[in-house]
Amino acid sequence: MTAPAIDARAERSQQELRQLRRRLMLTLRYVALIIFAILFLFPIAWSFINSIKLPSEALAVPPTYLPSQISLKNYEELTTYGKIGIAQHVYNSTVVALITVAGSVILSTLGGYGFARFDFPAKNVLFVMVLSTLMIPFQSILIPLFVMIVRIDLHDTLFGLSLVYITFQLPFGIFLMRNSFLAVPHEIEESALLDGCSSLSILYRLMLRLVLPGIVTVAIYAFINSWNEFLAALIFMSDQDNFTLPVFLTTIRYGIWGDVNWGALQAGVIVSIIPSLVIFLALQRYYMDGLMGGAVKN
Amino acid sequence: MHKQTALLNLSWEQRRKLTGLLFVLPTVAFVTVFFIIPLIMTIYMSFHDWPLFGERAHIGLENYQELGKDRQYLKSLDFTFRYTALVTPPIFILGFILASLVRRNIPYIGIFRTIFFLPVVIGLGVSSLLWVWMLDDRIGVFNKILLDLNLVPKAQLFLGRPNTAMNVIILSVVWKTVGFTMILLLAGLQAIPDELYESAEVDGAGYFRKLIYITLPLMRRFIALALILSVIGSVLSFDQFYIMTRGGPRNSTISIVFWIFNNSFTYFKMGYGAAMSIVLLGILVALTGLQLYVLREKD
Amino acid sequence: MYSRKSIQLVLALVLILGSLPLAAQDDQINMTMWVRAINFQTQELVDQWNANNDSQIELTVIPSGEFVTKMGAAIAAGEPPDIASIDLIYTPAFASAGQLVDITEFVRALPYADDLTPAHMNLGLYEGRNYAVPTAVDGSFMAFNVDLFEQAGLDPENPPSNWDEFLEAARAINDLGDDIYGYWFSMGCAGCNAFTFLPFIWASGGDVLSDDYSEATIADDPIVREALELYNTIWEEGLVPEGASIDNGSNFVSAFTGGNIGMAPLGNFALSLFYNDHPDLNFDIFHIPGKDGGAASFGGGDVIAIPSGTEHAEEAWRFIEWTMSDDPQIEIYAANGQIPVRLALVDNKYFEGDERQSIAASALAVGHTPYTTVYNDLFNDPNGPWLEMLQVAILDGDIDGALELGQERFTQIMEG
Repeated sequence: MTAPAIDARAERSQQELRQLRRRLMLTLRYVALIIFAILFLFPIAWSFINSIKLPSEALAVPPTYLPSQISLKNYEELTTYGKIGIAQHVYNSTVVALITVAGSVILSTLGGYGFARFDFPAKNVLFVMVLSTLMIPFQSILIPLFVMIVRIDLHDTLFGLSLVYITFQLPFGIFLMRNSFLAVPHEIEESALLDGCSSLSILYRLMLRLVLPGIVTVAIYAFINSWNEFLAALIFMSDQDNFTLPVFLTTIRYGIWGDVNWGALQAGVIVSIIPSLVIFLALQRYYMDGLMGGAVKN
Repeated sequence: MHKQTALLNLSWEQRRKLTGLLFVLPTVAFVTVFFIIPLIMTIYMSFHDWPLFGERAHIGLENYQELGKDRQYLKSLDFTFRYTALVTPPIFILGFILASLVRRNIPYIGIFRTIFFLPVVIGLGVSSLLWVWMLDDRIGVFNKILLDLNLVPKAQLFLGRPNTAMNVIILSVVWKTVGFTMILLLAGLQAIPDELYESAEVDGAGYFRKLIYITLPLMRRFIALALILSVIGSVLSFDQFYIMTRGGPRNSTISIVFWIFNNSFTYFKMGYGAAMSIVLLGILVALTGLQLYVLREKD
Repeated sequence: MYSRKSIQLVLALVLILGSLPLAAQDDQINMTMWVRAINFQTQELVDQWNANNDSQIELTVIPSGEFVTKMGAAIAAGEPPDIASIDLIYTPAFASAGQLVDITEFVRALPYADDLTPAHMNLGLYEGRNYAVPTAVDGSFMAFNVDLFEQAGLDPENPPSNWDEFLEAARAINDLGDDIYGYWFSMGCAGCNAFTFLPFIWASGGDVLSDDYSEATIADDPIVREALELYNTIWEEGLVPEGASIDNGSNFVSAFTGGNIGMAPLGNFALSLFYNDHPDLNFDIFHIPGKDGGAASFGGGDVIAIPSGTEHAEEAWRFIEWTMSDDPQIEIYAANGQIPVRLALVDNKYFEGDERQSIAASALAVGHTPYTTVYNDLFNDPNGPWLEMLQVAILDGDIDGALELGQERFTQIMEG
């Protein structure tokens, strides 16, 4: 280290230089961030812009950059598209998502509590069995699932599809909820146990509040994953009336013997993006917690 | 009445055990019915000629032998691995760049993190619909921009040629998934103490030296995790090919899952589809094994 | 606790109430009919039947892609429709799986049995027994733009009758301008090209399947190679718009209505569309030619059949027989521009004076339809070998590779 008195001016100018460099780097960083942000937002923004063009303008060749007139006609057309209209498909997706959320939350909370706080025979075996689902993706067991769902007469039902979705939310949910319960200090339950409360009422009255963040995380993932899922919905649903949103949107893409209604398709894309987006933006912290808890720790 | 007395007679400990078992029972039942049984059935079905309707027949290993002769299956395997090899580096590199950019807590950085992550919460099916439209030769915005900037002489059929189809699909998938990799790598970056960099700077280390000697080694777990999750996701891909190219052109973009889907639910050769699923399962178990190995080694 | 009596009372009430509507309709037969796509003649047929008969028919549309699965599932579950209008190419698959009622005796009793469109009757035949009769007739042919023909100095009265003339006509029209093209094909659509490209091969005496439909003849038949070369030439010379190479069929019909396409292979279904939506389109049609002359057509459309397990087979047949009788054939079919299913009725008052209709109808005489239970996997599937073979040969110019892969994958599928 140099003595401060020797060359104060050189020191100062060097400090200024360093500061200048730092500021320049910061500016460059922001420039890069803004460019990337524009690129990342562009597809969504472009889809939105086209969804509010007039239907005729949305089909223009070549396309226009900005709408000459703002119109909700594309959204209106969606309400009657393919005779059934989008409302039915929004309803289908919502029902499936809500059943999946409810099922995943209830099962994960019960199961997570059981695995975290109780000792019982074959506990470890069962825990590994549940988690092993993580390693084997559902794509590889779709065929027997389909055969089974047909056999128990749940083929082409929203409920049947939800059951499949719940199953594939479970390993993540159990893992997360077990960790949530493990993080709660034992002392809190012990006094209640001594008071003779039943396990279920302890869970309900005492613990639920403490593991609420975990529950919210499980619910968000269950919602977004089931809302967005495509392959299983494509296979398990055969009646057009039962199509979920993503499957319905692909039918617009493959308009047969006629031109594809691209304006309506973009309106549909926006409709299907909004719920996930709103939930994510509102509950971002819980979503990221889940990502870190679920992915990194294991 | 009998049961209740029996329950009352149990010791406290026994009752705890029973209660615990009851708590996990619904989960175990679900996993058994919708996972374990189908898994076993997949194996069983793969030894059968199993049409959707009509007679089934046990045919031993015939389905597996058939795989080697199935030209499209081999093509699909090749395609899936090629796609995985091509899509992983851009996701990883861009993910790393973005993670480095959003690492420091400078003003408004949360907004940028959110923006880069946004496409992840959009479904892959929906994002594919969005991209296939942007890539269209007539009404697509990419051709419009390229033509307006005089970068191409005429509209390009991006999805019409096997090579360009692969490239533009990769572009769309990178947009959709890179935010996920970014967050994983960001967690890794933030786990590295600043002091390490500071002392390296004192020693006169430049950006690349710091990258190679500090950043990458200390992030190994996170890098391995990001890579493997991305690889598994790519091996299982289906939505983007089904929606953007329908497997074309020249059946050049049919992934393994796509071909399993076709055989099982279009040609109704479910036994054959099951055999292919078992092979896919083998590949994935190997990849997961690799993941566990890489992650464990460090500790 | 409820007394036993009150439960019995409730039960009895439920039974009585439940049986009331049944009793009221006891003598009335309600039938369901499945179609793969609503067209006006089916709707009209059912409406007229319901207006004039005690038995009532309810029409349900099942999208083409799901028809096979749904029929199978419904029959397996014991709840089949009573009548089904099926894409004729699937009839062998349904009949061979025992999913249709044998109607041989009914058919034999028809005075005009031998006059029904042969392609449809042939497809409805399984092991010598009849399982279906025609209900919608749709042959492929070539449509051409008369104005463009005249501008290019071609004679619309003498359209091409062999491949050389066809190619020359396409070139001449193509030379008219940058935005004008000689020809159109939807090279991303498997079914479209089975319907319109196979006739080029058939008209020249070739085929992709052996006569008994037991094996693929792609690699052995020189005509297949030549036909692929013809289309490859059309592509390489730029006689079709570039976008045709990836069109998944959404422009199969509409491309020609733009007015800048000289010729496009289409079918009867397009005629009524042209008449109704594009009355100004100055077009005419000719048969899809063979290499050195000759003509062929893909005999497409729907047959009508009675699924196994229905309780109303007799009444269903009564409806089917009525649809083929004179009055509906003339006043519903021909009046709507649809070809009657009986060849003798093609000369009718509605078709008189419109030569296009009689040419379209005469295509049926040269109509041909592959008879195979794996038709869908071979020809219609967008990921099947047919489309891949065409794309590799026509768009990439790799004809040897295309023939080899076509032969191999056809054989693999047919051996099942």
